[in-house]
Amino acid sequence: MNKELDRKWLKKHAALEDGGFVSVGGFISTFEEKSSAGEEPVGVDALKHAFVKLLQLKRRERKLSVEELAAKADLDMAELLRIESDEGYVAAPFSVHKLAEFFKLPERPLMALAGLLKVKDAQFQQQALRFAARSEPVEKLSKEEHRALEEYVKFLCER
Amino acid sequence: MRVIVELLDHQSGEFIEAELFDEVTIDHFLETQREWRPVVTEAALYLAKAGAKPILVPRHFHWDWTKKEADLRMLAITFYGLGCGGALQGLMKLLTVGHTCRLPEQAGKPLVYVDYLEAAPWNIKPLMNALGKAPRYGGIGTLLLEAAVQKSKDEGFKGRLALHSLPTSEQFYLKACGMTAVGRDPAKQNLLWLEYTPEQAERFITRGTA
Repeated sequence: MNKELDRKWLKKHAALEDGGFVSVGGFISTFEEKSSAGEEPVGVDALKHAFVKLLQLKRRERKLSVEELAAKADLDMAELLRIESDEGYVAAPFSVHKLAEFFKLPERPLMALAGLLKVKDAQFQQQALRFAARSEPVEKLSKEEHRALEEYVKFLCER
Repeated sequence: MRVIVELLDHQSGEFIEAELFDEVTIDHFLETQREWRPVVTEAALYLAKAGAKPILVPRHFHWDWTKKEADLRMLAITFYGLGCGGALQGLMKLLTVGHTCRLPEQAGKPLVYVDYLEAAPWNIKPLMNALGKAPRYGGIGTLLLEAAVQKSKDEGFKGRLALHSLPTSEQFYLKACGMTAVGRDPAKQNLLWLEYTPEQAERFITRGTA
């Protein structure tokens, strides 16, 4: 085969490939069922609340502080703190990916909880709401929680 | 099998040597999970948040290559990889049994079915544009498809080949590769079934000179 013809042909094909995802099956195999651009997902508050609760409980289950989790999961500590404390904050997709990987949680549902994917499944939302409600602590504070609380209140009072 | 081919380096505009091989191992599958998956995830979510048309938003969540290891040992399945710059740039999975031609003039005849073909995400322009970057290498889909046609010829199928195309790839397979659209397949997410006759396949691998 003529090398020049080969190159010319490949260059033309490469340009045509660039117009879309030249793909069969695999990673780019299905499509986001997003009905319209910019539409807000339904029940986002409940999902976000469940997302935050889930992360907090998983972190506590592993007996990790936010700082330790950030180090172990290779995440930015400031972002992790924001994820756990500000439900209005939308986590970066890559951070959610890292959290899913670290806690061995399914990535897509976690993305949905984080408000990064739209969810139409009513049962998914209902279960998220139930989980968030049930995970609100009712037990007494642990020694560590009590100590941290006291220290922080003391610090606040001294300011 | 290891063959030296050339890819187009988008940054320099020059051609760069790459290696096409069929000795795909579990390490290559793991490489796609480790290196490709996070990039696809990030780009896809940026596209979704930017309100891209549904068709342009890829999802990949239920494909797990690590569970495909058994496929490596099956004779009816062949994998091809395309390596360049120390990284896997493209991967393809072919089936030589289980599918037959659907075009009326060659209906029922054996063919090679492209079950999976994908370029590394950093070579896919819409994904890289979503991340504010330029794609790295071009021509991966073309070279892999060329290898699939060659496999069909080696198997005695004379270049007959079929695949289910993503909507965003249909024009590429139809216009650039000269395949024939047979029809939408309700059994496969209504994707378009495209097929090569021996003549079309020959025209493709001879760069339109046949």
